[in-house]
This record gives sequence, structure tokens and C-alpha cells, in this order.
Amino acid sequence: MIPVRCITCGKAISAYFDEYKKRTDNGENPKEVLDDLGLTRYCCRRMLIAHVEVW
Amino acid sequence: MMALEDLVVREEEGSKMEIDIKNKAENKLIFIVDSVDVSFLNALRRICTMEVPTITIEAVEIYKNNSTLFDEVLAHRLGLVPLISDLESTESILVPEECDCEDHCPRCSVSLVLKERGPKIVYSKDFSPTDPKIKPVYDTIPLLKLGEDEEVELEAIAQLGIGLEHAKWQPTTACAYRYYPLIKLDKSCEACGKCAEECPRGVLEFDEKKNKIKIVDLENCSMCKTCMSICEAGAIEVMPHEGKFIFRIETDGSLSPEEVLTSAGDILAGKSEKVVTFCKEGGS
Ligand code: SF4
Ligand code: SF4
Ligand SMILES: [Zn+2]
Ligand SMILES: [Zn+2]
Repeated sequence: MIPVRCITCGKAISAYFDEYKKRTDNGENPKEVLDDLGLTRYCCRRMLIAHVEVW
Repeated sequence: MMALEDLVVREEEGSKMEIDIKNKAENKLIFIVDSVDVSFLNALRRICTMEVPTITIEAVEIYKNNSTLFDEVLAHRLGLVPLISDLESTESILVPEECDCEDHCPRCSVSLVLKERGPKIVYSKDFSPTDPKIKPVYDTIPLLKLGEDEEVELEAIAQLGIGLEHAKWQPTTACAYRYYPLIKLDKSCEACGKCAEECPRGVLEFDEKKNKIKIVDLENCSMCKTCMSICEAGAIEVMPHEGKFIFRIETDGSLSPEEVLTSAGDILAGKSEKVVTFCKEGGS
């Protein structure tokens, strides 16, 4: 499961994960999706980019 | 020496301070403050992050949980979910220290019930709050996954608290200020255009028609001083603008940036007033 918040700044990034996953799976560019979701800091961006859902 | 009886709170003292909103979006606010000093602004910033109360899940009574997530991991996840904490919703709730109950009671807490059966992903929207105003800020936070025949049943107790005690009560996710930049261009500039070429933030531009350097995006300057080190003529100088700052505040949605700042101002005023009362009357 994705952490609820960004471990660095505390933004509730998990709220955006489903949309991020859906849109990137549909072939959208992750950079553009993140910009669009308003996740501008790199601490928050790596939370979504680096997350692997294992179960 | 001035007699203590003559001491009045002079409101006009602070009026030299000027505030300009630069950018405002949902849960984000960037403003420029002029004629203020670091110590004041830093006090305000620290109160914003550390002392402005919000409401968050503090205790979880788990009646049933046979999912793959351990109880304590689940409770920890729930604690991090931001809840709507504006004054209107939390007005009637007591701070736990001021309540005379032992643990928690309806006067100092609200409860949110979660009862789900798998297979499904349980989201923050699945909470049924006893007080409809106190609910998660976001509906889409995944809390846990339930497999076939797995069940979760729990009651989460939310209480008021401050960031000083635990980071989950911090209303801000980003709250910082930096000096407003001041760029000075000297007459000795040879108009070689190197500084504009090297600036990583597009602050400077070389105007070929007028054959001089133009400052096009001053507020974006990070004061990295790359332009200064590249200039052979020593014609450009970057320095902080004394007493002027760019303040950025972003919240987790529990409160709006304006509410956080208002509350922080109130807390600071309350502290100052204690000092005034002490000086006038002695003791508290
Ligand atoms: S690098 Fe120095 S001399 Fe060249 S344009 Fe910039 S300020 Fe002028
Ligand atoms: S200090 Fe850095 S950001 Fe600012 S103008 Fe110079 S090179 Fe650009
Ligand atoms: Zn972050
Ligand atoms: Zn109580």
C-alpha cells in the first residue's frame, strides 16, 4: 500500500495515487500527470513514481 | 522611565508592514511581506507549523481486523488521514487537556466508524463520521485492502492537538519564507550577455536592441549567484532585499492557509498579551 502521506513534506499524496496509476497505465506521460495533479515538489513526485504495489 | 499604567498596546506600530498576495490556489498561498524582520516572520512560521490545532485520529478501537494489515499499521495509517478542522466544525470540541474526563469522551472527541467486508479496497470515503462536519479531507486515500471474507470493524477517535506533539496534527505541508531578491546592475556592464545565458531560472534576459541586460522575472531568482561568478566585469550583484520576504504556505486541507495564518496570529497575540498583563499587573 502506498504511504498515506509524503514522508518528507507530509502532503496526502496517496489521495492522488489511483488517478496517477490509471492515467499512466493509459499511456499518459507521468511528468504531465504529476504536474496536472498539482504535485510539484520532488519529494512528493518520487513517492508516486517509485511506489510498487505488491499486494 | 515610562509608567506602566501608560503602557497601551500600540496597534499602529505594526502598520508599516505590507502584505501582497502573489499567488493563491486551493490550499496554497504565496505572498510578499515588506517591512518586517526575520524574527517576527519566523515566529509566525513556527506557530503555523507547530501550534495551530487541527483534529486527527488519535485512538483506534479495533473490534475486528483479519486483513493482512496489522492493527498497529492500520491505526498508524488512519492517524495520518487529514480531517476537516476548520473553526466552524471544531468550535464545540474541547482540547483533551481542558476536558475533565480520563481518556476521551464525546465532549473532547468525535468518532468515525469503519465497517467493511472484502474483497475491496477501503478508502477514506468509507468512514461514517458521527459528526458529519468532521470527515476526511480527501475521499480517495486508500486505507487498506480486504481479500475474500476479510473484514474490518473499528471505531476511530479523533481529537484536537498540535504539531508540537505529533506531526499528524501539523496543518501545513510546506510553510517557508525566503528573502526577496535584489539585483543590482552596474554601469561597468559590458553587455556580453553571459549572465543571462547562465542564469538557471530565466531571471535575466539580454535585450539585443537596447544592448543591455533586463530583469524579466525577479521573484523567480533563487539567489544562486551564478550570474555574479560568471560576470568578468563584476557588474552584477545579487543580494537579499532587507526586510522583504516571499512567504509560501501550503496546507494538507484540514485548514485553509488563511485560517492557519489567522489562527497563528491569534496565538502570537495571546502570548504577547500575557506579557503585557504580566507587566501591568504582575503574575498571571
Ligand atoms: S555578465 Fe556582466 S558584463 Fe556581461 S552582461 Fe552580464 S552583467 Fe553585463
Ligand atoms: S542569482 Fe542565480 S537565479 Fe538569480 S539572477 Fe543570478 S543566476 Fe539567475
Ligand atoms: Zn512531499
Ligand atoms: Zn473528554
